[in-house]
Amino acid sequence: MAQQEKKKSRIFDYFSEKEDPYVGGVAWCAGCTLELAARFVPKVLGNDIVLVGCPGCSAPVFFGQNLGAWHRLSYYSCLMTGVASSATGISRYFRRIGKDVTVVCFTGDGCAADVGFQPLSGAAERNEHIIYICYDNEGYMNTGYQRSSTTPLGASTSTTPAGIIGKGKPTPAKNMPLIMSLHGAAYVATATLSHLEDFAKKLLKAKEKKNEGFVYIHVFAPCNMGWRIESNSSIQVCRTAVRTNYFPLWEAENGKFRLTQETANPRPIQEFTKPIRKFAHLKEADIDKLQQMVDERYAFIKALCAIGK
Amino acid sequence: MKAQKGQVKVITGNATAAYAAMLCRPDVVTSYPITPMSEVAEQLSAFHADGILDAEMVEVEGENSAMNVVAAASITGGRVFTATSSWGLAFMYDAVQQASGFRAPVVMAIANRETPGILAVSGGQQDIISARDTGWIQIIVEDCQEIFDTIIMAFRLAEDYDIQLPVMVNYDGFYLSYLAQAVEIAAREDVDRFLEPLKRQPQRPKLVPGEPLGAGTHGIEVGFVELRYKHCTAMERATTKLDKIDKGFGELFGRSYGGQIEEYRTGDAEIIVIASGGAAGTARTVVDAKRNEGIKVGLIKLRLFRPFPRKRLSEALRGKKAIGVIDRSVCFGWNCGPTYMELRALSPEFGVTPMLSYIDGMANLDITVPHIERVIDETYAAACGKPYQEVTWIPLEE
Repeated sequence: MAQQEKKKSRIFDYFSEKEDPYVGGVAWCAGCTLELAARFVPKVLGNDIVLVGCPGCSAPVFFGQNLGAWHRLSYYSCLMTGVASSATGISRYFRRIGKDVTVVCFTGDGCAADVGFQPLSGAAERNEHIIYICYDNEGYMNTGYQRSSTTPLGASTSTTPAGIIGKGKPTPAKNMPLIMSLHGAAYVATATLSHLEDFAKKLLKAKEKKNEGFVYIHVFAPCNMGWRIESNSSIQVCRTAVRTNYFPLWEAENGKFRLTQETANPRPIQEFTKPIRKFAHLKEADIDKLQQMVDERYAFIKALCAIGK
Repeated sequence: MKAQKGQVKVITGNATAAYAAMLCRPDVVTSYPITPMSEVAEQLSAFHADGILDAEMVEVEGENSAMNVVAAASITGGRVFTATSSWGLAFMYDAVQQASGFRAPVVMAIANRETPGILAVSGGQQDIISARDTGWIQIIVEDCQEIFDTIIMAFRLAEDYDIQLPVMVNYDGFYLSYLAQAVEIAAREDVDRFLEPLKRQPQRPKLVPGEPLGAGTHGIEVGFVELRYKHCTAMERATTKLDKIDKGFGELFGRSYGGQIEEYRTGDAEIIVIASGGAAGTARTVVDAKRNEGIKVGLIKLRLFRPFPRKRLSEALRGKKAIGVIDRSVCFGWNCGPTYMELRALSPEFGVTPMLSYIDGMANLDITVPHIERVIDETYAAACGKPYQEVTWIPLEE
């Protein structure tokens, strides 16, 4: 058994040993990190999950096209305002008939942090037994790269464009994973696609913790098109986001915070912003402001981790 | 075999709705409180707390979530119930249309209340008029016993394999929602017996873990049109299906309501008054009084608003000399009552007669006996060839 557990943590095995639920030839944009997340989640959680999603970048594949199904998962699609509440209805019915089912919401930040936030907050407060995975590409990418509340300070989007006067988004990103952890959820974690081992562990933990209550996983998922980065560099951008502390990897189990990836010598934020052209217009002072925000947020998480140690 | 005599309780319309829903053994129940239906949510929660209602109760954070919870639970295979009113219905508007598009057999009680406006904390039917094109079946009832009986019938209708559509059961907010009347609460076994045919029909498709099914995913182009066509034809089938269910209910429980419409003294009537909800009760007594005065008047109580009972109404109205229609809501852009507008659209099928629209009973104002006397007198005068006003806002003319 112990041997089996050890084997499970090898990322390669997830891809080689599990049946892929997607139809051959199905793809998102070249280099899309959401695609990797969407393929990875059932690899770890199993193909017998019930997936709940809504319009967004994941929808064209999950919805299928016309009469063609693009995957073999059990999938419930609803509007952006109803993801966490629909998942509640599904999981409650399965509980009612005594069936243990892993109900997984899979949406972008536009749904989770903005228009679908109320039901998400409600479901977390009620501690519904569901797993909510938010792939955060920092904006409304499917509709053409508009800002969302997780768009970072200074980022140029199609609704906060950099221009003669415009300096990109004037406010920092809503700290979604932290907000969700303060709901008293059973398990909250951050993850990204450069750290799949870490992501896999968190998904396995999620599957276990969803029997206790609400689980939220916030996945940092760069969008090559919207952020204007090279299609072969999205994983590197994920890695730099962790190394600069822009996106620290942590988990909160029953309110106990823990960093799952310590950064000994964090790199300056420029290393993160440089290849991303949505930050190209930023002046040194703007970068300093962003650095300050990153430092403050990291210090906050560190302080939370120190509680109860 | 007839049902046993049920226990008679003096309870409000809201409590009645909760009793009926509880007896139908729903799997998932949710409700977000709003005046004037909050008592439905409270009563259901009390049933749950006392172990009488064995269901998953979800105390949602808003009406939009209430509808999403029940629609999703319904598509997963459960029997579901919720209730709301006015702004609550407005707030769940996207989910309401999603539920009907998914063909989720949700049953929802609505204590009708005004919209739009700043507060509009008063009775009226404007809320459901705004929702008439959402693809839901809409039934309007008159008194507490009818609330009870119709909610039970609504489950039979919604979950019927040939229908599979959500149903709104509407009753007058503030009036019926808070009015206590004697209601015969059917025995659980008899309600079970009435709903039993649903168990014998084919299983509807539902979400099963590990089985590939995309619920709610949309087709485009012809696939979409086909689904829309099937939705429309299912609505059509709901008209006669309701008549049958109502008849079956009458055979078991000894109470029935005419199905789509109730016709009262219409057979030999020369003129007809049309009303829905509690106003129909007042109208019935006025019709009796006017009959004593020698005016050959009949009443049609409109129960089914969506789908519109075209055939039954055409048959009942053919050959009549004039029609007076009372609405507790308005039709914006037509400046008349919505039922009146629907009847105007239908009028080629029953022949053109003078038709008079009366707007009354909005914002908690009473539809009184003198009001209905006036409707009958003016409609009768119109039938005799006298000039008439097409649309009358009764409260503004008093």
